[in-house]
This record gives sequence, C-alpha cells and structure tokens, in this order.
Amino acid sequence: MNFKKRTYWLFLLPTLFALLVVLIIPFFQGVYYSFTSYDGFQVSSFIGLENYKNLFSDEQFLYSLGFTAAFSVVSVIGINVLGLSFALLVTQKLGKVSTLFRTIYFMPNLIGGIILGFIWQFVFLKAFTGIADLTGIEFFRGWLSDTQTGFWGLVILFVWQMSGYIMVIYISFLNNVPKELLEAATIDGANRWQNFWKVKFPLIIPAFTVSLFLTLSNAFKVYDQNMALTSGGPFGSTEMATMNIYDTAFKVQEMGYAQAKAIVFLIIITLISVIQLQITRRKETEL
Amino acid sequence: MKFRLFIISLIMLVSMSLMVACGSNDSANSDGSADNGDEVVVDVFNIKVETTEQLNNLIEIYESENENVKINVTTVGGGQDAPSALQAKFSSGEEPSIFLLGGLSDVEKYKDYLLDVSDMESAKTAIDGTLQGATIDGTPYGIPLNIEGYGWMINKAIFEQAGVDPASIDSYDKFVEAVETIDSQKEELGIDSVFAFSAKEDWVVSQYSSQFTAPEFDNDIKTAFEAEELNFEYGDRMKEYTDLFNQYNYQPILSLDYSTSVEELFANDRAAIIHQGNWIVPTLNSMDESFVSEKLGILPFFVTSDTEGKIVAGPSWYWGINKEQDEAVVEESKKFIDWMYTSEKGKELIVQDFKYVPAHEGYDTDAISDPVSAEVYEYLLNGNSKIWANNQYPDGFFSEALLPEFQKYLGEQQSWEEFEQAASEAFTEMR
Repeated sequence: MNFKKRTYWLFLLPTLFALLVVLIIPFFQGVYYSFTSYDGFQVSSFIGLENYKNLFSDEQFLYSLGFTAAFSVVSVIGINVLGLSFALLVTQKLGKVSTLFRTIYFMPNLIGGIILGFIWQFVFLKAFTGIADLTGIEFFRGWLSDTQTGFWGLVILFVWQMSGYIMVIYISFLNNVPKELLEAATIDGANRWQNFWKVKFPLIIPAFTVSLFLTLSNAFKVYDQNMALTSGGPFGSTEMATMNIYDTAFKVQEMGYAQAKAIVFLIIITLISVIQLQITRRKETEL
Repeated sequence: MKFRLFIISLIMLVSMSLMVACGSNDSANSDGSADNGDEVVVDVFNIKVETTEQLNNLIEIYESENENVKINVTTVGGGQDAPSALQAKFSSGEEPSIFLLGGLSDVEKYKDYLLDVSDMESAKTAIDGTLQGATIDGTPYGIPLNIEGYGWMINKAIFEQAGVDPASIDSYDKFVEAVETIDSQKEELGIDSVFAFSAKEDWVVSQYSSQFTAPEFDNDIKTAFEAEELNFEYGDRMKEYTDLFNQYNYQPILSLDYSTSVEELFANDRAAIIHQGNWIVPTLNSMDESFVSEKLGILPFFVTSDTEGKIVAGPSWYWGINKEQDEAVVEESKKFIDWMYTSEKGKELIVQDFKYVPAHEGYDTDAISDPVSAEVYEYLLNGNSKIWANNQYPDGFFSEALLPEFQKYLGEQQSWEEFEQAASEAFTEMR
C-alpha cells in the first residue's frame, strides 16, 4: 500500500466508523427486530414474517402511506414550481434587491420543523380566525379541524419551508447557463418566453434531478412538522407514515411491528427515489 | 511529506479525542453516583411540568440541608411524550434513580427495577387505599405523588350571573338545565360558548372517558388493570354528556387545544365549563390570583344514577425508586422521598407551595389553600370519588384508538355505536 492509498483509508476511517455505529449496525438490528415481537425491553419471541403479514390489514398504516404519498406529490410540485419561480425572479437584474429577496426566501429553511409547526399552528388557528372574524370570510374558519384543511395546512407549511432551499439549487444552475447561448437565441428573434422554455429549461434539467430527489425524499420523511402542526389529528386523518411508525413503537410499545413498518417504508422510499433518478437522468441534456 | 503526515495525525487525534470525550462524559452521567468526593447524585425524572419550579425549589432547600446529596431533575411533559422519554432513558442505560409511574402497567413494566417501598415512612403514612395503584401481588412499588381530581371545572361567577346556583345542581337534568340557561344568555354574559372542551388533547378525552368507565370496572384499580374488555356499560350516559357539550362547545372543537381552552377561554371568562382537574390551579393562579379563590368550582358527573354525583379523584402518579442503582443512591432516594412527604418543611411545601392535595396523613387540611382542591379532598374522603380508570387502559389505547374514534364521532364521521364498537375492539386487541 502506497502513501496515497493509506491516507485515503485513514481519512475515511472516522466517517466509516461513525456510519457503522449509528447507521449500519442499527439497521441490521432493526431488520432482526422486525422478525420478533419486541416491546422495547425484551424480545419475547421470534415470529418470522408475522409482523409483515399484519401490515397489510393495518388500515391506519395503509391510510397514512396513502396520505403521505398524496402529500408528497402535491408538495413536490408546489415546492419546485415555487422554487423555480423564485429563482427566476431573483436572477433578473434587479441589483441589491435580489440579494435581499434571496435571503428572505431562504430564511424559512433556517427554522426547525417543530418551531415552524407551532408558528403555522398559530397562523392557522389564531390569525386565520382573526381574519375570519374581521372579514366574515368563512374560508378562514376552522383550519386544522378537518382532514382537508389539515392536509393543505401541512402542504403550505412544507412548501413554505422548502422552496427557498430548492430556489438556491435552481439559481446556481440558472447562473451557469452560458450567456452566449441566450444572446444567440435573442439575435435569432426568440422572446423571453421562448428563451426560457427552449434554452434555459433544457439546460437546467439536471437541477430537477437534484431538486426532485431532495424534495421527494424529504416530503416522505416529514415528521416534526406533522407532529407540531396537527399531531395526526383530527381522528388520525393527517397522520403520516413516519408518525404512524413512531406511535406504534413508542405509544403502543410494539417495537418489532414498528420496525417492520419502518423497513417496508424504507423500501418504498428507496424504490421511488431510484425510479425518479432514472427518469430525470434520461432527460438531462449535454451541452 | 512530513507536513502532510503531521496534518493527518492531527486530524486523527482530534477526532479520536472527540469520541473519547463524548464517551467518558456519558459514562459519568449514567452511573449517577459518587465520582467526586462523597457526593451522592440522585437523578429524578419528573413528568409534572406544572410544578417544575416548585420541585426545583424544594430540591434546593433539601440540598442545602444535606450537603452530600446532589439532585438532578429532568422534566419532560406538557406537549411532549413523557412515557416514551422515560422508556428511552431506560433503554439507553441512563436510568433515573427516582421516576414517576402512571398506572399499574407502568409498574409492571418497570417492576424489575422498582424498590419495594413498604418499609418507607412515606408509605406508612399514605392515606388508606392510595397505595393500591402501585401495588402488584401485595407489594407496593410506589409512593403517591398527590391526590388529583377532575370533573367539570366551572366558572361560578358566570353561573351566578346567569342565575344558576352551582350548589343546586344535584342531578343530570339540572345540569342540562343549567347549561341551557347559560347558553340562552350568552350575549349578556359575554361568553363565546358554555363549554370549552379541548377535544384535540388525547389525555382530556381519556380522562373524560374515565368518568364512565370507572364504574364499569367496579371502581377498582386492579379490576380495571386486568379487564380484557371495555363494554361501555354506561355508554348511553356518555353519549348524552358528549352530545351536550358538543352542542354548546367552542367550535371547531377538534382543533381546540389545552392552552386555548384553559388559558384563553376559561381563564378570561369566555367559557363557563371545561373538563379539567385541580392541576390547572397553579396555571390559573399565575394569571389571576383571584380567579381560583372567587370563581373556580367543580361539578360532578351523574353516571350510575341520575342523582348521585361523583368526580374522579385519587393519586394519578407514583414515585418509583430504582433499586438497581448503587446502594448509597437508593438510600438517598428513599430519604429524599420520605423527607418530601413526612418532614415538617416538606409537608409545608407540598400544601402551600405545590398546592397539592396531599395523599398522606398528618397534614393540616385547613392549609389547603384553594377551595377546589379542598372540594376534591372532600369528595375523596366522603367516598364520592371514582378511580383514575384511564391510567389502567392498555398502552397507547387512549391516543391511538380512543381519541381518533371519539373525534370521528364529534366530527360526525361515524355513529356512536360505531365509536363504541371500534373502541371496544381496540381495547381488547391492545390489552
């Protein structure tokens, strides 16, 4: 082993060690627990695939998966549309103002999920009711007290939080579009609209690969926002998969069963992410 | 080359020392005992958020009297999930020396760790029957924290303004009548609604259900704990009460949380009735000193008969002592709990500072400062109380089954029969 190789592994070692301890070992432990009836204290028996079989008749779990999927689709579209719009807006030549807007749009992303949840809970419950009292518009009344408003409340919160982050990614790709291409297009008579769709858009497809991946996997894994905003209520109808798993583990104390749910959930996320990466990769344009 | 080697070894050194630092820190915490000198460290796991300050104050006094003891408190609760946090502490090996137990299921779960408290002074002075909630096979494993009672907490001033004497409500019909009278004068009284039942909180719904399930379990903690099924024997009355408050409640009821219900509506005279217990007294006191002494009252539920009113009252929490700790820590833990409930200073603090209703004998009952706590105490002594049946429900039942099903009924997503059936099935399944 030469020096280069040795230093390579030396540098890798601390990270590998950390990954092994906090990720890889617990993962295999988790797989093992999912085959047992484990209550958090002791493994009482090895029950094979029993936990996995029960999953398919667990209505609340299946419902929460469906709810999570619906939430993810809507918020991924929302975040990317909004993020791209923000990015286009702040890459216009506006001078100092654009820096200010960049900062403002990015700011929600700096606040933790729990805090965000409580802020928006206040907005939906108190501010919205105040608006309804003042204006008499019924639309603002009773937010978070039924499934629809709970769902849209979560979507609004998450879009608000994530679009600034995604904006940054789009900005960097938009700035990398070669000026001469745009100039050439303009000389050929393309208007701004055509400039965007025919020149910029194909060139920032790689940004979609990254952004979709990030938003999709994050949307599926949302927990703290869900917990703080609705905590699954009313009647468990806004409970996302992660919350269902957590509650099974720590409230009902069925760790083994919760592990089985978590592993199924992991497989689902992995599959979706891989498929998504494959599809968007194929669409990327080489300069 | 030399320089690169130097940098590499520096990085390795830093990362190694970081790991070691974290590791050694943890171990010092977890064994919880004397590392420096003769000091004994006792870790207390507290769930009663409302009285955190009072507990810290009491500990400060205790520490100043006992120089060799250091007591650390971890408080988890309120909006957080306290039982999970306790379990997480145990599974991570950072077991506390003293911790709070909710019901027999907690006792059973932590039984291997729990000390038999029967020879402790504070167990001997506990009021007859209060140890029952932490007793398995005749061995008591916990010291009752206090007595807590709940029912309909009312704003007497609003009742009187509406021309209703709270003391005259001695039957279910009169209660309904009172509610309707108040509702008819909503405008003049300046209230938003008669009730402010917070149906968003799982524990409020769970406690409410206990008013009806306690008699079904013969008012016996052991029966409740061992019950394999929940049949809603008094389901009809529960439906009547539920429909009543849902009709006259602050809407939307499903997103009404504890703080809006208690601190915003009830404390500001905007609602007349809530379903709560005497633990709201410190909160109300901190907002308006006169509210509790002048306006706060408690009304019972008429469940088993139309005229026999009862509230739920009893010890809700028990201090359990971890016997797996070092002997010195266990000794100091015992001494601390005994001091809290049997010494003169401790007694004084419990009643006057914590404003607890004591679960032990030898207290000056006149010292119970607020009328509601005194009333709760009276209900208990006169046998007009029910057990905390909800603490004996199966793990997770109240948050994962009872609450969603009950909310579905309130939100008109299902009928009462469907609610009863779904809740019963979940009860049997989760037991």
